[in-house]
Amino acid sequence: MAESELDPSATVTPDSYESAVERLEQIIDRLDSGQAGLRETLELCREGRDLVTYCAGELDEVGESLKELRLDELAAKLDQGQLDTD
Amino acid sequence: MGEELAPQRVTLPGPFAVGRYARKLEEEMRRRARVSLIGEVTGLSRSKAQAYFELRDAEGAIPCAIWLDDLEKLELPEQGLRDGTEVVIDGGPDYYRGGAQASPSFYFRATHIRLAGEGDLLARLEALRKQLRAEGLFELQGRLPRALLPKTIGVVTAESGAARRDLLAGLERRGWRGTVIWAFAPVQDRHAAPAIAAAIQDLAARPEVEAIVVTRGGGSLADLWAFCDETLCRTVAMLRVPVVSAVGHERDSTLIDDVAAVACSTPTHAAEAAVPLEAAAARVALERSLTVLRRAAGGAVGGRTPHLVSLARGPGRALRRERLALNQKTREMRAASERGVAARLGFQRRLAMVVLDRAARRAAGPEMEHRREALHRAAVALRAHEPERTLERGYALVEGEDGEPLATAAEAGAAEVVKLRFADGRVRARPERDGDA
Repeated sequence: MAESELDPSATVTPDSYESAVERLEQIIDRLDSGQAGLRETLELCREGRDLVTYCAGELDEVGESLKELRLDELAAKLDQGQLDTD
Repeated sequence: MGEELAPQRVTLPGPFAVGRYARKLEEEMRRRARVSLIGEVTGLSRSKAQAYFELRDAEGAIPCAIWLDDLEKLELPEQGLRDGTEVVIDGGPDYYRGGAQASPSFYFRATHIRLAGEGDLLARLEALRKQLRAEGLFELQGRLPRALLPKTIGVVTAESGAARRDLLAGLERRGWRGTVIWAFAPVQDRHAAPAIAAAIQDLAARPEVEAIVVTRGGGSLADLWAFCDETLCRTVAMLRVPVVSAVGHERDSTLIDDVAAVACSTPTHAAEAAVPLEAAAARVALERSLTVLRRAAGGAVGGRTPHLVSLARGPGRALRRERLALNQKTREMRAASERGVAARLGFQRRLAMVVLDRAARRAAGPEMEHRREALHRAAVALRAHEPERTLERGYALVEGEDGEPLATAAEAGAAEVVKLRFADGRVRARPERDGDA
């Protein structure tokens, strides 16, 4: 069992949606395999829920309203030293 | 020795009078083969008698001149010869030796000019394509990682084009409402290629931009020629941000399509390529993951008690432990029988055996999921028969210091200290060695 156990050091804060989804898939594969013991199952479930929350947050960030900016205006602001802090 | 070191002076023909030499050079130039050249017209100007321009491509340029008489005879379309036009010119090198008032000059003397046709452009395009491919520039963008869900994308397109509207519609259909940074640029004239290249570079310089879309609607190859510009395509190839190109229609193939990370046939497809993830589908997938996690966690909690975990890992080991517990119960039952409650405990024991047996059979089954369910049920059933229930009725259990039950008088007698476990807690006790045990 230990040999196929998911590497616990892989438990890191995801830096992108794709890395979060990749880790989530690993977790679900591991749980589906039925090879994870009690402690590992509970840890994986907790990590998985965190990842789902992260992914949902990422989706929310691009789910509200489309924002349109113009490069020339951004450049003009930059020139005036009024860097857009959005 | 001194004579040996002195540089040997080569005796050249001449000296000739320069005017005579210039005339010879003029004759020489005009004798050279007449050829056709293809390139872009830049710096067009006219004098009273001639039109002057440079014919250039990415590798070099040649100054050209055509007599206005010759130019008018060609009947080129209105504004046909202008800066940025791709033309094919016939002619040959010419040297004007100058005069008392006029400076000498070199020109390619054009005698015929026609606008480059699709065939000419395709031939040039193929040559350029071959060269860039040989340099490995077609693979660079393809190797860049692309964000599944970018928060900001840059778009280079014409401000008033339909491509802009189509791209927005594509993003909307994707359920994506992040940030779009528009970099509007001309997409058709001679200013187009440098302006597009500059816009792409400016967008790529912004750290929040995760993908860049370059798009315009369809047109003739001449219309789309800016997107075959060598400098522009080299710029795209070397960029560290993935570029999605959607120039022209499906049948149009521009050079930018070859160097970009992804080439799309329409702006709508470009929206899908720039935002590979469809938000609605992603939310469904996340919900599904959450269900799996909840089920897994629930199953694990169902088997929380340590003896059930060991039962899941090895039915044999768990059985032995359960037998020990049962033996303990048997002894309790025996004592109870003396107090006239044997019948009730006997029933409990039989029931526990049946439950345990079933649990063991299920635990040994092939599918873990079924095992877990069976164990969950067994846990619930077993809990009803745990010693705690008996303790609640006023019995006490003798345990060693480590909490393990001491099942025999011998074990209890041998212990230094025992614990008497009641329903509401434990009491430490010391066995008397000379007792009647």
